Amino acid sequence: MSQINSTQGNDKFVLNVIHRPEMVPEYAEKVTGHGKTEDIGRKELLTESLDIFKTQQSIAHKNGIKTTIQMTYASLFNEEAVALAKEHHETYGDEIALTLLGLPCNEFREKYKTKDFCIWMFSMEDKISIVNDVFEKFHDCFGFYPESTGSYYMDAELINYIKATYPSVKCAVATCWEEGPKAYHTCNNSWYTFMDGGPWAPWIPSKANTHAPAANEEEDSGIVAIPHLSRDLLACYDGNGSNFGTHPQNVLRGMIYHDNQFPYLFNLIDQYRHLGKYNNGYAYNMMFVGPGWMNKMGRWEAPYELLVKSYEDGMAYYGQLKKEGKLIDMTMAEFADDFRANKHYTEPECALWKDILYGSDKQLFWYCDPYMRACVNMDQGGAIVDLRPYAAKLEWPVGIGTKHVVDASYPFLIQEKYRAGYFTHYAGEGTIRSAKVVHNGEEVDLCLCRTKAHFEENDGDRRIVLDPVEIEFYDLTVKLQTVMHFPEGTGEIRVERRILEISNPDAEVQINEYMVACYGTTEYMEDMTELVLSTKKGDTVCSINYEYKCRELFMDEAEEVACVLPPIKTKVSLGMADSKGATGYFKEGYAFSPMFTLGYKKTLRNQEVLSTWLKLERED
Amino acid sequence: MAQAGKGRLNYRCPSCFMRDLDIDMFYDKEKKEYYCLRCQYTGTEEDVLEKNEMARFRYRAMMKRITDFED
Repeated sequence: MSQINSTQGNDKFVLNVIHRPEMVPEYAEKVTGHGKTEDIGRKELLTESLDIFKTQQSIAHKNGIKTTIQMTYASLFNEEAVALAKEHHETYGDEIALTLLGLPCNEFREKYKTKDFCIWMFSMEDKISIVNDVFEKFHDCFGFYPESTGSYYMDAELINYIKATYPSVKCAVATCWEEGPKAYHTCNNSWYTFMDGGPWAPWIPSKANTHAPAANEEEDSGIVAIPHLSRDLLACYDGNGSNFGTHPQNVLRGMIYHDNQFPYLFNLIDQYRHLGKYNNGYAYNMMFVGPGWMNKMGRWEAPYELLVKSYEDGMAYYGQLKKEGKLIDMTMAEFADDFRANKHYTEPECALWKDILYGSDKQLFWYCDPYMRACVNMDQGGAIVDLRPYAAKLEWPVGIGTKHVVDASYPFLIQEKYRAGYFTHYAGEGTIRSAKVVHNGEEVDLCLCRTKAHFEENDGDRRIVLDPVEIEFYDLTVKLQTVMHFPEGTGEIRVERRILEISNPDAEVQINEYMVACYGTTEYMEDMTELVLSTKKGDTVCSINYEYKCRELFMDEAEEVACVLPPIKTKVSLGMADSKGATGYFKEGYAFSPMFTLGYKKTLRNQEVLSTWLKLERED
Repeated sequence: MAQAGKGRLNYRCPSCFMRDLDIDMFYDKEKKEYYCLRCQYTGTEEDVLEKNEMARFRYRAMMKRITDFED
């Protein structure tokens, strides 16, 4: 297997491999049990499940990789599974941990009288009861409490309870990146895991909302969270997340292979290695394959032999990197300590990500810190196409008995797939943060200027510098460059538009900086009537309550244009370092276009720069 | 006519796969064809495999080993 050779001396690429002895694997009962009445205690199901776990462990150990064994509740009733965990801990240094996945078993169903199996969807009362139950059962089996836990999603209330009750826990699998409406659709609207809007790489969750990283010790939930798998930051944003991650069988699910070869998996691992370049040399990978994905019946089109081969090949590549000193395998608990030792609270996670699958040159920049998660699309001239206001640290309890039984996603202000971006059909606007260049009645949106970005960093200022683009008007050509700054710990994005050249040096062009936004977690619109739009200059504030009336307001030399969104306790504002000669404005939107727009217009000449900022704050 | 069952492997509907839907197909022994419960696709195993190849059209770099990630 070939590999990238750009590893720098101080780079650190950490790997967590996690296995769970899931006695009733997801999918297995549905797949292998087709045509039979449901029986989750079937002996052959239990035997096969444990065999798969043994196979996975064996493959990892053969390649010199230590694992974290996440015991499931069901496996705690199985003496062989418990004995295996103890043996592998002794022999290979594997961590014995506890997952809140894999709850289903006869014992669980008899006790809780439900077929629910996702811990975050239970009532808080049941969450507490289940956590106590499984943690105490774990203690009975092993004589200690676990240091690591997890599920597909761990809501803040759940994490807070676990940390308070079982303080030994320091690490948890806490979300699947961009698993939400897209996964729901892919599963024929039958897979209720809605957890969009979170970090793609390890983070320290805040006590208020798991997705939003803690900004300081006070907000620190006490654990280090890791995502379930390391996902393709381009493919997963548009397509089914379950096809594009460091999960070999997910890659098979996506049919991303030919003649039993799948170089995409290794490209994905290598691109994650490369992310160290944007994160002070620190990069991370996680592989966590549930046993249901390696069942003897095969999985969809892939026969068992290919399922196993894909796991062997993936683990062999990790093993090869380890042998070459390019990878450090850790248990989850070891990783939590290492992460805290190498990161500080406001340090962002950055990823300048390129397409490695579709053969385009498309490039995205992802940014995540305690105040926001943002995605910038270079194929759209550096437009912000996704924006999550973590600054609000929005309390969002989930589970039965709350307003959000299954919807654990962090709300967006901008989401170009769910609420359109630049392109809409015939009318209305989609969510996007871009700029239009205007000259003599002609208007060109930078969304139509494809470009590339380069990452730079100094003194806590991370920025992407975009290659200049040319805008051609009937009688004028303008060369313009965009630079986007992400100053650490501010909740701000600063955007500079530099006019590098104009074919007629005496000509002027108008730049219209704008942001079209709304709020939500899904594809469908929310009630906008609580929103308040405003402009401000000195003591003069003009504001309106959102009533879908398509109103617009312009204010010369406005210091700020803003929208307060009470349903998500967020204030988003645009402003300029120097608004002299500029006009700030807001637009209300209407029923067919339930959005709002904030913007600034200013006329520029050759060599001039327009600098605006976007700020996110909590507002109660 | 007897009920349908699963085929040799869990083939998904290639037509639905191309619109990001994973739907297991069922096998009609009498007609010797797979069919989709959601859409109108029917086909033999050979046809399913052929259409699955078609579904891969978007993965233009699928078999390319990428070694340069520099921006």
